[in-house]
Amino acid sequence: MNVDLLFSLSGSLVLAGWATLLAGALIPSTALRLWAQRLAGLAIPLLLSVAYAALVLAFWHGAPGGFDTLANVMRLFDTPQIALAGWIHYLAFDLFIGAWIARRAAEEGVGFVLVAPCLVLTFLFGPAGYLAFSALRAARTATPRSLAA
Amino acid sequence: MSIVASPLHLASPRPGLLGALFAREPIFAGTALMMLAMMPPTLLAMALDARTLDGVNVWIKPLKFEIALALYLGTLAWFAGWLPAGYLRSRTHRLLAPAVAFATAAEMAWIGGAAHMGVASHFNVATPLAAALYPVMGLLAVTITLPSLTMGLALLRSGGALLSAFRLSLGLGLTTTFVLTVLVAGFMAAGAPGHGVGGTASQAAGLPLLGWARDGGDLRVAHFFATHAMHFVPAVGFVAARTLTERVARRAVVAAALGFVALVVYAFVEALMGLPFPSLAFS
Repeated sequence: MNVDLLFSLSGSLVLAGWATLLAGALIPSTALRLWAQRLAGLAIPLLLSVAYAALVLAFWHGAPGGFDTLANVMRLFDTPQIALAGWIHYLAFDLFIGAWIARRAAEEGVGFVLVAPCLVLTFLFGPAGYLAFSALRAARTATPRSLAA
Repeated sequence: MSIVASPLHLASPRPGLLGALFAREPIFAGTALMMLAMMPPTLLAMALDARTLDGVNVWIKPLKFEIALALYLGTLAWFAGWLPAGYLRSRTHRLLAPAVAFATAAEMAWIGGAAHMGVASHFNVATPLAAALYPVMGLLAVTITLPSLTMGLALLRSGGALLSAFRLSLGLGLTTTFVLTVLVAGFMAAGAPGHGVGGTASQAAGLPLLGWARDGGDLRVAHFFATHAMHFVPAVGFVAARTLTERVARRAVVAAALGFVALVVYAFVEALMGLPFPSLAFS
């Protein structure tokens, strides 16, 4: 199997995961949300983790670079397979955090208009979406119930 | 809210075979499950990695050990259901079971690590580190094999003359596995060293997955049969106990164990003569 095929497979898989999360946040169906959690919070991150582990097992040894300096981290990404592993790392963990955000939002009754931008932001820029959702939760906690209702 | 609940449900009892294994002996069952969990990344690594060792993909060997250890530890967990009361709480078992789990993890780290670096694990004395690790791994391998002896002896001692044919088959199968495996593998490690006798070093032309040489002797054949005594003898015991009278069934079990020992000796001698297994023609 070549790295380009694995790259496009991972992309399609993770898009499907994000689609179910957004659908689950939009449509108030418990069954749909449960399936979104199973796919985006469990199955797809696990599949991506298998792909990540396989890439590291097969290609880490002998790849130039390291974790100690920024220059060395950049050199790791010179090896296509290790760059793909890094990319899959983003995909897997961002989706996992997306599922957590969707779960928390449903639990705390955050509406679609508020949670959707956080999910999109997490999809595109990972930690920025997590930051936005955390800020949103902090704002909601600080707001008196009479105003929030 | 039900959707808030963890989708994993790790705390709930596991259904089916896996649940039965965990109920009988959780440490062996858990270690077997870890071996199963390592198979998907190993298989994908095999699909991605083009490097070979002795003519076959570097990840074939870790895969074979994952399969073999999952089967071995799963079988031990399964057989634990017939152990005499108290064995699982004995000091022997409480010390041995975690040691086996640790040894299994260390063996897989060694075999997987060698595959990762594209070098041989067993029989590798090319560098000082590899040469220093190899005997340690032998010690760990004996540790992994040890519960087949202690469990087998506990079963054989449990019933005295009244031991049922099936328990007898479990006890004989397990002890046979220990004695023959340690003898054959010990010979491969110290006496030979290596598993091929004559023939080419390439495994590409060997039997599918097993990789046994077709153009020379291969001591792994004897190792394979030695280790599977714990499956063959109890299988005979299981059938015999249901189809024969108890006395005849016990004799059938003893005969099966002796026959299996003879098969291992045959495979061992044949490999030493440089002949592939099974060899019908004289080459």
